[in-house]
Amino acid sequence: MKKTIAVVYGGRSAEHEVSIITAHIPIIQSLEAAGGFDVWSIYISKDGSWYCSQKFNELKYFKGADLSERLAKEKRIDLRFENGLEIVWPGLRNKKLKIDIVFPSMHGTYGEDGSLMGVLRMANVPFVGCDLFASAAAMDKVITKQIVASDGIPVVPYVWFTKTQWGAGKKAYSAEIGKLKWPLFVKPVHLGSSIGITKAKTPAELENAIEVAFHYDNKVLVEESVENLIEVTLPIMGNDELRLAEIERPLNKTEFFDFKEKYLSGGKGGKGNGVNSEYSEIPAKIDPEFAKTVKEYGAKVYTTLGCTGIARVDFLIDSASRKVYMNEVNTLPGSLYHHNWRKAGISNVELIRSLVHYAEERFAGLKELTHTFESGILDKVGGPKAQ
Amino acid sequence: MNAITAYLSRYRLVYVRSLVYMLQSCEYSIHDFFIWYKRINDFSHVEYRKHLEFTPKASMLAAFGWIVQAALYLLVIWHLFIASYLWVVILAALLPYILLLFLLAFLLVMRLVQTPAEYLIIRRAAKKLARHKGLKIAIAGSYGKTSMREILRTVLSVSKRVASPEHNYNTPIGIARFVQHLKGDEEVLIFELGEYYPGDVEKLCRLVRPDIGIITGVSEAHLERFGTIEKAAATIFELADWLGSKPVYVNSDSTPTKAFTKPSHILYNKDGVHTWKVSDARSDLSGTSFILSNGSRILRFKSALLGLHQVGPLSMVAALADFLGLSSTDIEIGIARTKPFAHRLELKHYENGAYKLDDSYNGNPAGVEAVISFMAGLKGHRRFYVTPGLVEMGPRTEEVHKEIGRQIARARIEKTVLIRNSVTPFIETGLRDAGYHGEVIWFEDALKAYAALPHMTIQGDVVLLQNDWPDQYV
Repeated sequence: MKKTIAVVYGGRSAEHEVSIITAHIPIIQSLEAAGGFDVWSIYISKDGSWYCSQKFNELKYFKGADLSERLAKEKRIDLRFENGLEIVWPGLRNKKLKIDIVFPSMHGTYGEDGSLMGVLRMANVPFVGCDLFASAAAMDKVITKQIVASDGIPVVPYVWFTKTQWGAGKKAYSAEIGKLKWPLFVKPVHLGSSIGITKAKTPAELENAIEVAFHYDNKVLVEESVENLIEVTLPIMGNDELRLAEIERPLNKTEFFDFKEKYLSGGKGGKGNGVNSEYSEIPAKIDPEFAKTVKEYGAKVYTTLGCTGIARVDFLIDSASRKVYMNEVNTLPGSLYHHNWRKAGISNVELIRSLVHYAEERFAGLKELTHTFESGILDKVGGPKAQ
Repeated sequence: MNAITAYLSRYRLVYVRSLVYMLQSCEYSIHDFFIWYKRINDFSHVEYRKHLEFTPKASMLAAFGWIVQAALYLLVIWHLFIASYLWVVILAALLPYILLLFLLAFLLVMRLVQTPAEYLIIRRAAKKLARHKGLKIAIAGSYGKTSMREILRTVLSVSKRVASPEHNYNTPIGIARFVQHLKGDEEVLIFELGEYYPGDVEKLCRLVRPDIGIITGVSEAHLERFGTIEKAAATIFELADWLGSKPVYVNSDSTPTKAFTKPSHILYNKDGVHTWKVSDARSDLSGTSFILSNGSRILRFKSALLGLHQVGPLSMVAALADFLGLSSTDIEIGIARTKPFAHRLELKHYENGAYKLDDSYNGNPAGVEAVISFMAGLKGHRRFYVTPGLVEMGPRTEEVHKEIGRQIARARIEKTVLIRNSVTPFIETGLRDAGYHGEVIWFEDALKAYAALPHMTIQGDVVLLQNDWPDQYV
């Protein structure tokens, strides 16, 4: 008996396109290859409309300028939450599809930030990846730093503020920023895939960088740049027992690799195979002491944040001071970092199957919890007063 | 509902195309066509692995079929006006079968024209070959003919002008068409002799008039046509009978050849050929190496061909090349030039860095055993064995496939990917009987499995694609 699995992607996010790539390479391709799944695509357009069709299982559907015209011919779907998740194509006779498991593949806002997980929790359906709490926390780079720092993991010194706070107290924040060691990085707090991140070397550049960051987000983080930098990342999967992939080091030639370089510079022949498989060194050739610390901190960060299923923890290493800093956590690594997992000996199909298993394991654990409590409080409300 | 839609495919234009495709795939054998036809219900999805090639013959058949189909539809409509509805229903019900009869009748008419024309081409080729001064080498066997031909051609070409038919043209008309293009100055001609029915090899010998014969082995291939392996062996040994006292090389690694081998035959196997002895044979993904010695003469070989089962044929070709006067250096150069042939344990790579061993043209039990043995020797790799099983194994189908399962289990291959059909459950039984500890993965069809494999593998994995079923067997 095949399980009906819905892969949810797209959405109202700056990482809409990246989400489509991750959904197809490797998620849908591998689910289809694995057998045992009836795979359905749930695509959320940039205007927030939900569509569902197996036509979307092919990546080529999303190529071409006439996508919105083709989508206009598709029916928008409704969701029902009675006894799990049910998709409904409204019509004279509603067409329905019961979903057994959901595979979220939404980067950024309204997806990776926990919003989608909230909906899926309401629907009482098992879903792959991190739950609402870890997703929401990891989406905010400041909250992530605050949580992991409280558990003893080093983070780079930083200052944060909202758009309103910056507008009202620019001077005070500038003074605070002045205490940091330059150059600085300015980052929108809630965005991933390196969108809107700028390195500032002068106050003028800083002002400009903050303006750019506020274009994407209303909360901004200004942090010290780590010099003598070794940047590494560590994908991790599991619920209670963790499996670590290889430590990976981006080999970007420029000082800082941006969105295009990360996702579009392509694999072999520039064809673009999801996350660029040539831009990094796997496993990273770093000092074994650094590697040991990264693995130790990685597992601790994953557990402290309450990650489940899969996540990726990024680190900044100062090779001169020999300090390792947690940089950020990504609860839906682009293309699941399948290139890295393969180097770690896990094929795409094995990766996908493991993630589905973790989702079912977590869901089974949640079902054992009691969510209701017979208090009889309603009967007592108003009673004594009426007497 | 689906069954009705499938049945109604007989009334669509695609029906004619499918019939012509099926005939073409069966090489216009009406017997094989009917075996396939009886199995098909939905004629709209017949061209699955390949597509109809619009050769002049196929085009004429298709055009005729569509004209007859249109005429029959007009007839049905005409009957609506002039006859009772009962007649219309009967005519409509019989329409696909009447169309089929017309098509087959047209094919027979075409044959009446084609057969004398082909007879003339074959006769002309026989005369040309009789006059040809080149040395003629003929290869017969249930398996390994094309590989042997290619090894011979590669090695002898180092110092001789060699010609042989391309692909697997091993029928009288295939060989005759090749002979038409010979210049006459070739020093060596190499022919594969195909065996489909008793007498076939002898017929080809009369055409080719070989000077030297090679029998590559006998196995259960085409057993559905021969009935017993002895009949298949007798047909293959028609080559030895025809040659009489002339040199005949026989692969003695193939057990069924033993009963037919005579003292005058030159035996070859993985240990050597005649007075040449093999030593230090090794094979891995980089190729095969061995030493061939004869008294004080020592030849060191390295070939890109994979598997120790290649040592026998390579030694035999080296010995024959020596017999034909090639120098030791030329023989070593020739063997070094040999490489895997298309779809015969051909090494390729997936983009993810996994190795793909394409052995999709190897569909005989002896070849399968050799390849599993090669897989067994690969250390430090996770191995995937992918197969839809073998065809035309006749009454030996169950035992042959159970044995494949047992061999996979003994080789401790980590993953067995089986395509669901009538024979693969026997492989599963064989695996179970031998206490297989690996994973068995099922796919509904081979194309889905091929598409899935890049996602199931990682760098360093070795995937063997063993045999492939054309549409008529799926």
